[in-house]
Amino acid sequence: MSTTRTTTCPFCLNGCTSGVSFDGYQYRMDYAVDAHVNRGRLCPRGNSASIVVDHPKRLSYPLLDGRETTWQQAGELVRQWLRAAGAGGLAIVYSRGRAADEVRRLHGLARELGTPYLACGHVEPENAFNHRLAGVEDATLEDVQSAKAMLLVGDVFNTSPVASWRMLEARYADRKNRLVVVDSLRTRQSGFAHVFVQVRPGTEPFALLALAALLDRRLSGVDVDRHAALAGVERGLLETAAKALEPKTPGFVGSAMHPGRVRHPALHSLASQLVARAAKKPFTGFRETALPFGPTGFSSLREAVAAGKVKMLFWTGGLYPGSYHELMPELDKVEHRVATAIFVPDPPIPGLVLPLTAELERSSVGGSYWGEVKRAPVASPFSGSRGFADVLGLLGRAEEADVAAPKPESVEAVIAMAAGAVAAERASDGWLLVGEKKAIGIRGFFDDEETILVNAADAGRLEVDDEDYVAVKGPVAEAAFQVHVSGQVPPGVLCVGTNVHRNRALFPLGVDPATGETVVGPARVEVEKAGVKVGPASETRAV
Amino acid sequence: MAKRIVLRMDYCIGCRSCEAACRSRFKGEARIRYGEVGATVFLPLSCRHCEEPLCAAACPFDVIRKDKETGLVLRSSFHCVGCRSCALACPFGAIDTRLLRRASQKCSLCSDRTEGPRCVTSCPTGALQFVEVGEPGEPRVGVGYAARHANWRRP
Repeated sequence: MSTTRTTTCPFCLNGCTSGVSFDGYQYRMDYAVDAHVNRGRLCPRGNSASIVVDHPKRLSYPLLDGRETTWQQAGELVRQWLRAAGAGGLAIVYSRGRAADEVRRLHGLARELGTPYLACGHVEPENAFNHRLAGVEDATLEDVQSAKAMLLVGDVFNTSPVASWRMLEARYADRKNRLVVVDSLRTRQSGFAHVFVQVRPGTEPFALLALAALLDRRLSGVDVDRHAALAGVERGLLETAAKALEPKTPGFVGSAMHPGRVRHPALHSLASQLVARAAKKPFTGFRETALPFGPTGFSSLREAVAAGKVKMLFWTGGLYPGSYHELMPELDKVEHRVATAIFVPDPPIPGLVLPLTAELERSSVGGSYWGEVKRAPVASPFSGSRGFADVLGLLGRAEEADVAAPKPESVEAVIAMAAGAVAAERASDGWLLVGEKKAIGIRGFFDDEETILVNAADAGRLEVDDEDYVAVKGPVAEAAFQVHVSGQVPPGVLCVGTNVHRNRALFPLGVDPATGETVVGPARVEVEKAGVKVGPASETRAV
Repeated sequence: MAKRIVLRMDYCIGCRSCEAACRSRFKGEARIRYGEVGATVFLPLSCRHCEEPLCAAACPFDVIRKDKETGLVLRSSFHCVGCRSCALACPFGAIDTRLLRRASQKCSLCSDRTEGPRCVTSCPTGALQFVEVGEPGEPRVGVGYAARHANWRRP
């Protein structure tokens, strides 16, 4: 007989209620059709939750340099390394997969140990939604459902598919209702738009600032024509969008950011909120996880690691084991490395890797777009894995500590930040590789993302057609992809999925000069037709 | 009256959640396929459980049969030899030519689940619906889709 337990889906911040049933042999997803937020509906990520629980590649024992070891030996090693590094040489990094209460516990531990380095390694641009603009309200479910004018920046539908149904209901509720989409790619979401503003990749903030200036004539310091030209859109189109979003019409503004598509994450976030403020509408930043930045910036931490100041690194979260090369090539300089993982790292990574329980196997407290949610464990802990508190116990005991929220930015600060970005804007030629975050692409389970989207005109230039292969060489890595000729991308732009680490490695890490934060923006690449299939795209090689 | 999956094209966002739900349950089998129309339109293709199924007629081993009570066109995975005749015969392209565990993949409308197919329950926007055939309230499909695409507009 099977038992079903319900919890809140951990894979994005929509807060969907999902059920997991266990028949004594296998975990399967179930659907809570009476749930207020999602009515039983689940996106591909939510549907794959049960696959994670009993996946054959789950890690069930600690690994030391790729070899099996015991928890007792691992504990002794951690304590020994901690004594050798000292509190001043220890760095703690958290990334995707950590809930709010777990991050608070990490902050408490860092204070207790006195380590100077505590950073958020979640370098996805969506984390820049931590930047808030003063005077902008958070949208509620009712705001979305009753909206008559909506602005969506980026691919919100793919970031939170279940959140999109209320938007579509609102769009179709009345023929006068309007949906405006600002994006660099012609995604499926753009097919629903009444006004689609297609901008050059990475220039969304300029189009948004121009839109805000058209909505609020009192906004000074924004040259509408200049900003529209930088974004590659006509002023008339922005005026049509501004008319659809006029302040007296109830609605909301939603924004999403994707790795490899955003060049100015903080400005992108703040410019989206500036439009919301100018249009007098509430705002939601759609993202998969909400993690505070941490007292040490990730870029500063990378500098400290490169300078040899960090002797021991404790990394807990989803990105490290698979993103070793593209995240921190300087990591080789750290003598002792400890990471938590749910899956067996492939390829093996040096240092100590500790098996952690998956999201569905432990209780946690997390945020959602629509309020705070609590998650209950719905599956038994995987054999050999341990809970987060137990793993932290190897470093020391600490209580949860408060994490200070960032101070809201002023409109003047946003305009000044934009002026800096405009001054630094340079025209350049060549192929531009951008990223797409597909909901189906979670961890490569359903879509291994071995295709690259190429515009029909570019396909002619490259003399390739569907199912041919092209070799893409980026600043830090190269890989081969199968061509899919598509109208989603404009000429000169290529697009790959960024859910798998192999593709993400093509996008080098940069630094946002305005905030000093790490940026994963569009990459300049070289492309040529591969005469024969040059091997699976999974073989990304460092250049 | 028999129930069937109906797609409201106006609401499909192409997230492929239907496919993920199907694969999660059937151990890697995606019994619902999808097709792309242009750059921005996406169509899930599920078995229509035809009145006179051509896949059943084409099957050389009578592995596919139409259930007289429920009207479902069901396949026995144990007896399927993977000859792909059903995939070639299906006029809607709803059966994939790729085999899994040496058998063709055929939708059974989640006959193991009383609440209806998983793809319908999990569809994030409610684009997939499980309705009685000929039901008066059957959704008008594709009205908005037609309105937002130049090919379908009157000049």
